[in-house]
Parts: sequence; structure tokens; C-alpha cells
Amino acid sequence: MIHLYKSNGFNMVLDVNSGSVHVVDDCVYDVLSCMNEGKNAEETAEALSSKYAEQDITEAREEIQELADNGMLFTKDIYENAIDQFSNRPTVVKALCLHIAHDCNLACRYCFAEEGEYHGRRALMSLEVGKKALDFLIANSGSRRNLEVDFFGGEPLMNWDVVKQLVAYGREQEKLHNKNFRFTLTTNGVLLNDEVMEFCNKEMGNVVLSIDGRKEVHDHMRPFRKGAGSYDLIVPKFQKFAELRHQDKYYVRGTFTHYNTDFAADVLHLADLGFKQISVEPVVAPPTEDYAIREEDLPVIFEQYDILAREMIKREKEGRGFNFFHFMIDLTGGPCVYKRLSGCGSGTEYLAVTPWGDFYPCHQFVGQEDFCLGNVYEGVKKTETVNEFKKCNVYSKKECSQCFARFYCSGGCAANSYNFTGKINDVYEIGCKMQQKRIECALMIKAALAED
Amino acid sequence: MKHIKTLNTKSLQNTVKKGGCGECQTSCQSACKTSCTVGNQSCEHK
Repeated sequence: MIHLYKSNGFNMVLDVNSGSVHVVDDCVYDVLSCMNEGKNAEETAEALSSKYAEQDITEAREEIQELADNGMLFTKDIYENAIDQFSNRPTVVKALCLHIAHDCNLACRYCFAEEGEYHGRRALMSLEVGKKALDFLIANSGSRRNLEVDFFGGEPLMNWDVVKQLVAYGREQEKLHNKNFRFTLTTNGVLLNDEVMEFCNKEMGNVVLSIDGRKEVHDHMRPFRKGAGSYDLIVPKFQKFAELRHQDKYYVRGTFTHYNTDFAADVLHLADLGFKQISVEPVVAPPTEDYAIREEDLPVIFEQYDILAREMIKREKEGRGFNFFHFMIDLTGGPCVYKRLSGCGSGTEYLAVTPWGDFYPCHQFVGQEDFCLGNVYEGVKKTETVNEFKKCNVYSKKECSQCFARFYCSGGCAANSYNFTGKINDVYEIGCKMQQKRIECALMIKAALAED
Repeated sequence: MKHIKTLNTKSLQNTVKKGGCGECQTSCQSACKTSCTVGNQSCEHK
């Protein structure tokens, strides 16, 4: 399977199963298009005879054949059996999202956590529950050494003392059990101060700083409970934090919605504020919400990704580039095919923990009682639900098996699927189309930067 | 090659034999909290 597309003046070819990416001239592009339509050599030559010299068509075919012989074009999908075996392996838990506070000092309009409460009550995680969660992670992590714990909320800085004590506990336990905790923190910045920054720079492998972009966009979606905007308070703190982290190992992370489909301006605004690590992504919301992304938003969104890609190339060449999370693709390394096909691990390798210690498949499912999998005291009890999540991989979805993007998105988000289809193992088409577009842009950027 | 420029040489197929150690970062854990994106992650098992 190959994927052909034109972007920003480049003729791009992705050989899906090998991950090889080629930039080709018009003649090769047209020959490949004919081959994709099932035309044989004679039919191809005839179809293109008015456009190209015979010799060019012959050369194009020879080069295509050479790449095919070398496993870089028209390679077969050899992974399906391998992924079956991989999926049937005993799973271990390697990452927890600790809902350290189900409370928030902002009232963001799109919050899936409903201002931090997650359809439930306001609560802070106790040190005892947090310790039990870390104990559970260590005990259920098998031979995996790297264990990830994200301090999430609500707003985790509303329970900061417990965060610090849990980090100390984790550092003590990792030595005893030969593990390596990677702590991360996601914060809205309201309570961020020098002490928090200093602690995070010592202990947190990554920090995610929530900001949506332009002041009017940010303040509209991320107000305080009484309605005032939060932009002016958080921006200087985030700028300082990013500098203290040497512009690395952090992300400023925003959400775009139906109300700011011109989000390229928000990404560029964040870049203009000096941030080098930027992630802005589409909202996850049921279609009934007014701010949800709709099918009719897609042409605008695609154009925005194109605008952003072109501007990023320009800035990179001028020596003032920045990273946009969804355009990052590692063509020379990157994860193995198992990781690419099995996805995020929600409900199996990755669990969310509520303040009172309940397990959910991920933070997006917290508060939906049917998805409660167990708790820190008794472990995972609802194994039938875990097994359903375990089955989520690219080959369990018909649409994915025909999609060129499957090795980059790994089948998409179970919560997105559930929101839109009522099933965890279906596809969310709007999300798929945006993902495909992002991958096309990311590959084109590689082509543009490889030009010089 | 005259008509084709290849941007990468590493094949995903080579990762079938030695992949699957599972030490890599959980994809939704950081930076994106709402989208499953693995293509940009790095491999811990070099």
C-alpha cells in the first residue's frame, strides 16, 4: 500500500508498511498513480504518452522497481500475525495518571472533567491513596523499569504538598525495586510559583502547561469561576518556567475548538511568546457540545495545518524554529511496529486513578461508572473491560487496515471513539481526517527541510 | 536516482524482530492528553 499526495509543491509518496518516504517528480507521481489504479505497464505508458517522453516513463518505472526490490515501495503488511501474539502477551501496568485533585481554580468551558469534578464530588487525593497507587504500579509493572506517573487534575497544584510527598515516596521506592519513576505534571499555571518551578525542574521529566494561544481565545475558554480571564496571570510564569527548563522537556499545550478553527494563529502566538515546545490539539467532545469540531470545520482546519506547516518551514530556515507536537515524526528512529499498532495502552498499561483510589482506563473515562476497573486497595477487578481495551489495536478496526496513517496514530483514541460511537473500538472519523492531514504535513515538512 | 529522492532508509519491518520491549513512554501521558499519537515517540531500546 502506498499513499500519494501533493503538498506545498512536493509530490509525496509514503510506503505505508515500510514507513519509507519518497519525494518524486511529476512523472513518477503519475506512473505511481496509474499503478495504484491497477494499470499495467502498457496501459500506464499509453495513459501518460501525451505528457512525458517514453524514456522518462521507462526510467520512472525502473526506479520504482528498484525501490520495490529493496523493500521501500509496495511492501506487504507482515504485522498482523505478529500483533496478535503481541496483544495476547500478559500485560503489565507502566503508567498512571494520578488525579491528585478533583478541583480546579479555573472553569474552562470545554473541560471534560467538568471544572475538575469529573461528574462526581470535589476531592483531593490523600497521601495514603497516592502511596497505594505507586505501590500498585510497582507491583504490577513486571520487568518494566521505566514507570510514568502524571500528576493531573483538576488542578494538581491545589494539592501540591501531596505531590511533593509522593515524589519523595516514589524516589525511595524506586531504589528498593529497581525502577525508574518519570514524573510529569500538568498545570493551568494559576498557582505556579518559584518553589513549584524549582521542585519540578529537579523532579519532573516533563511539564505540560495549559494555554490555548491568543489572549482572547484563551480567556474565552479558560476563565476563572467568576468570569475573568487567566491569560495575563499565567503567561509570564510559563515563559519563566520554559526558560528555566532551557526550552526543553515541557510543552505549552492548548486545545482548539469550533470557536477557534483558525488555531494556526494560536500556535504562532505561542511561538511568538518564545515557547519552543508547543502542542495544540482539537477538543475531545461529544457532537452535542456547541464547541465540538464538526465535519464542516474540516476544510478550514486542514488549511490551518497547511498554513502552520509552511510557516514552521520558514521559521526553521530562518533559525527560529519551534516544535509542534503533532508534526513531530522521527523518520530514522521512532517506536517499533508493536508500539505503533497497539496504541496508547489505556485500560491495560495505562490507568487513571481518582482521588479516592478508583481505577479508570484513562483520564477521559473518569466518572463514567461503567468503566471503573477496580481500586488501589483491591487492584484491577473488572478484567472483562480490561480485555476489551486490550483488543483495541489497528487490526481490530476495518477502517484502520485501509488507512495510510495507521502506523502513526495506532488506531486512535478509545475515548474519542466512545464519545462519538458508543463503542471504544470504533473510529472517530473527524479525528481520523485531522490525523491524516497532520501526518501529511509532517512528512512534507521533512521533505522541505531536506531540500537544502 | 534521477526521479526519486528517499527521505529515510529505516524500515518498520526491521522492528518486528527486536521490538516490543514496552519501555517507551505512554503516548497519551504528556503533551497530548487527548490524542493518540505514537509516530513521534522515540524508542528506548536502541
